[in-house]
Amino acid sequence: MLNLKHVLKPAVWAAALSAMISPALAEETILIAGWGAKSGPLRSFGVNSEAVLKAAVKEVNDSGGIMLADGTKANLEYIYFDSACNAEQAISVARKVASETRALIGIGPTCSGAAAAMFGVFQKTVGDDNDTGLQFPILTDTAVRNGLAKISQWTFRNTPNEPDMYDKLFAWVAKTYPDLKTIYGGTETDQGHSNGTYSRVIVQASKRYGFDWATGDIEGVTGDLGSGYTEVLANSSNWLMADTNFSVQARAFKKSEADIYIISSHPFTTCGMLKELKRRRAEPKLLIGLTSSSSAEVMKGCAEAAEGMVIPTSFAPITPAAEKVAMLANENGGDADLHSAAAWENVMIIKQVIESAGVENKPETLMADRRKIRDGLETLERTEGLIGQVQRVQDEGEALKPYVFVQAMGGKWSVIHDPRSIQ
Amino acid sequence: MGIDFIDVAQAIIDGLLFGSTYALIGLGFTLIFGAMHKLNMAYAASAIAGAYVGLAAIALSGLPPVLAFFLGPVASGVIGLAVYITCFRYMPASNMLAPLMASIGALFFIDEIIIHATAGSPLAFPAVMDDVYFELGEYGFRGDLIFVLVTSLVAMLVLLYVLFGTRLGLATRAVSQQVVAAELCGIASHRTNATTFVLTGVLGGLAGCMAAAAVGVISPLLTVPITVKGLIVTVIGGLGSIPGAIIAGFAVGGFENLFLLVFGVNQRDIYVFLLLFVFLVFRPNGLLGKAIKRD
Amino acid sequence: MAFYFGLLQTIGIHTLLGLSAYVLLLTGQLSLAQVGFFAIGAYVSGILTVIFEYHIVPGLFAGALAGGAFAFLVGFPALRVKGLMLVVATIAFSEIVRLFFFNLNWRVMVNGVEVGPDSTQGFREIRFYAANGWDTFDVVLFIWLFVIVVMAMLWWLDRVRAGATLRAVGADELAAQSSGVNIVAVKVTAMTVGGVIAGLAGGLYAHSATYVDHLTFSVLLATFAVAYPILGGLSSVFGTLIAVIFVQGILIEGMRFLGDWRNILFGLLIIVAMNFRPSGLLDGNVLSRIRRMIGHGKPDGGGRHA
Repeated sequence: MLNLKHVLKPAVWAAALSAMISPALAEETILIAGWGAKSGPLRSFGVNSEAVLKAAVKEVNDSGGIMLADGTKANLEYIYFDSACNAEQAISVARKVASETRALIGIGPTCSGAAAAMFGVFQKTVGDDNDTGLQFPILTDTAVRNGLAKISQWTFRNTPNEPDMYDKLFAWVAKTYPDLKTIYGGTETDQGHSNGTYSRVIVQASKRYGFDWATGDIEGVTGDLGSGYTEVLANSSNWLMADTNFSVQARAFKKSEADIYIISSHPFTTCGMLKELKRRRAEPKLLIGLTSSSSAEVMKGCAEAAEGMVIPTSFAPITPAAEKVAMLANENGGDADLHSAAAWENVMIIKQVIESAGVENKPETLMADRRKIRDGLETLERTEGLIGQVQRVQDEGEALKPYVFVQAMGGKWSVIHDPRSIQ
Repeated sequence: MGIDFIDVAQAIIDGLLFGSTYALIGLGFTLIFGAMHKLNMAYAASAIAGAYVGLAAIALSGLPPVLAFFLGPVASGVIGLAVYITCFRYMPASNMLAPLMASIGALFFIDEIIIHATAGSPLAFPAVMDDVYFELGEYGFRGDLIFVLVTSLVAMLVLLYVLFGTRLGLATRAVSQQVVAAELCGIASHRTNATTFVLTGVLGGLAGCMAAAAVGVISPLLTVPITVKGLIVTVIGGLGSIPGAIIAGFAVGGFENLFLLVFGVNQRDIYVFLLLFVFLVFRPNGLLGKAIKRD
Repeated sequence: MAFYFGLLQTIGIHTLLGLSAYVLLLTGQLSLAQVGFFAIGAYVSGILTVIFEYHIVPGLFAGALAGGAFAFLVGFPALRVKGLMLVVATIAFSEIVRLFFFNLNWRVMVNGVEVGPDSTQGFREIRFYAANGWDTFDVVLFIWLFVIVVMAMLWWLDRVRAGATLRAVGADELAAQSSGVNIVAVKVTAMTVGGVIAGLAGGLYAHSATYVDHLTFSVLLATFAVAYPILGGLSSVFGTLIAVIFVQGILIEGMRFLGDWRNILFGLLIIVAMNFRPSGLLDGNVLSRIRRMIGHGKPDGGGRHA
């Protein structure tokens, strides 16, 4: 081991050194940094996000690069790091990118828990000299958990707005399936995103449109977001992210005799639960899922059991641009889904902001450029998305993305409704 | 929604059936611990890895899916041997910590290989008799879980035969009782230990396939919970006790489902751990373990 | 520099976590309960600085005391079991603590903002450092002040009779007992000291990461806690430090340039390390060689292994 350490150390230093020197040689490019889970069970997040990021950077360069303040054009370059869904690693990469590279902006991390920690080490309020947090703009693509971007004024997200999505979904369900009345569901309680969306967003949205909880009214739940969320969990049949046995939950679903089942979880347990429901011959008239399950993973794991499941998603290949991104992502070894497709939009947003904010991209203007980009992101009112215009929620740093409803049909997600088409 | 007697009974039935996979994993831990007095943390990971290899083999070769249940355990046996050679074979016999740590390294290594091969994405796993559901009055029995149970029971019987009916088993038991005395009698302890690892690997691979088949999906997420469950089963059953591990596996499966039904998922595991504490306090040697003498 | 200061914070916190397991390993107890004490320290100090707006110093001390108090309570039943039973029992303790915080929902309005632990949604914005103008370097100094004090105390402990007693219990419990060592007192003391150190480390972690949720305190982190002293060797407190630098500095941060290979090499290098240095990176032989090099040539008990 001693030998190994001797060998390893010079190699590490050499690499660290070259990483510091090489950007200086290529000063003319504009550098952006991405990071996300490329190790651990959520590796697909990082792989997909990087594949789309790579394609988007190439697209920008193929169309001539980005215009700087002095009228010259510069090519875009990206670096990508693994932060493994781990808070310490996400923070570490954020610090590394902000202090050791000339990156102008970051896209990441992919996991909500890591994002919640990472955003906390950023300066909360811009210009607050007493706050020593990082001053570096972030535009996150994948971490969906509700209300994260407002942790710092330097952090922005281009992720789906689930309260809006599920509101429109239940409005549509109420109209399209007037004979469906009752509803029952469950969630993966140990995951902040699935749990939060289920107990604070989805169930309240169903209440708003007059659906009845199959096992009797839940105390405290009104149409308001978050109302009675602890009671929602107590009146549902839930599981954990690494659970393997869903028999008790499936029985409860079946016993509820609800018309509509809600399965709010990530692909692994969504598949486990769906398969168990199928075995138990629990046949709802409609299945509704969590946005994160509208991905290729569910189709790889349990296409047959998922047949008929309806999910609102902010990405589907319904426009030429979206089709192109889906194809390019596959060419780069990833999938474009509601999470990763945002990386494409983010690169385009960054291009637009750099061009309008007068970024100089010189070593001595690095801090000023980062600030300009942040200010530029904050003033954006809307951006061009792959399936339509995205509204920015300016004071929260969040997005109101367009979305469509997809349904699992024959091993594929097919678009069944576009809420923008009815007014 | 009230809980009826039938809910309780059905939850326990499902739990017991699923518990057979816990029993298999617990058996593996207990055998290795019995043989070497060492803990192999990579055990559940190699079990899941074997199931993946079985899945990949049938996907690439187009063989019938049932063969995954044969190829998976074989692959796990090979991985078990590799773990023995890299993490146990060359470690000082008196050092408990170094092989433990090395096997933790192997756990990380195996997990990452799976994750890199599949991008961490869950994959559909074939199940036998998946669409069969027996109904006996109000009670239901999942066909695939009955298959899991029967296969596990057969595996356990084969294992008991190997341990108590063959020379190999005699050697294994001799080494586990007294290494030096066994070697003096002409038993090669390293080779016996290696055989134990292969044997437990095969058992683990079967458990990995069974767990994946019971869920219908396989994911690297399975390794940590299976490791923890396997350890609990080993302790409740009594270290080194084969029948103890089998009974404890079923018991943990049944109680777990009962706790889930009664207390909900957020508190289920708290009660499983409290059950473990009850055993540690009142029966520190487990259900059927012998009293621990001085090491 | 912010990155290197950040890395130093991580190394400092993990060194404390590793040392908390080191103390127990000296007495021959392999405990995966350290992450439970770590979680208790993290939540207690986080709640004090965020909800009750305490200064971080009393917050940290309260977290450390809470960690120690729980460790003291765990110490007695833990005496009943050893070896694998202790490993499983301590995993169970850590998991129960984790599940407690998983279920803990304590939201309070402070200065017009709702803060506090929010079960699965996590405990956000534990921002004492940034909000009070401490920059990353100040935090590094603050954390390492604790690391140095703890390391110095443990190093000193190893020079005096108490340390010999700890190691005697670890080497052969029965022999130590026959020589008049009070096993109960030694083991419970070691557990309590380990709990205090882990609680302190947890408080420091919560404030460095600004966020904790139950998933942070997994069996994986418990494994890391015992991995550091085992990987580093039990001959000296510096072993743990070296192992943390090896894992956090080299395997996790230093190998980033290897891309995807980094994750695969992580486990592989641990296996290689244990095969070539089964008594740890810094074992007795290396230690006595270093002593000779810096002029302390006296042949003392450098070859001790636990």
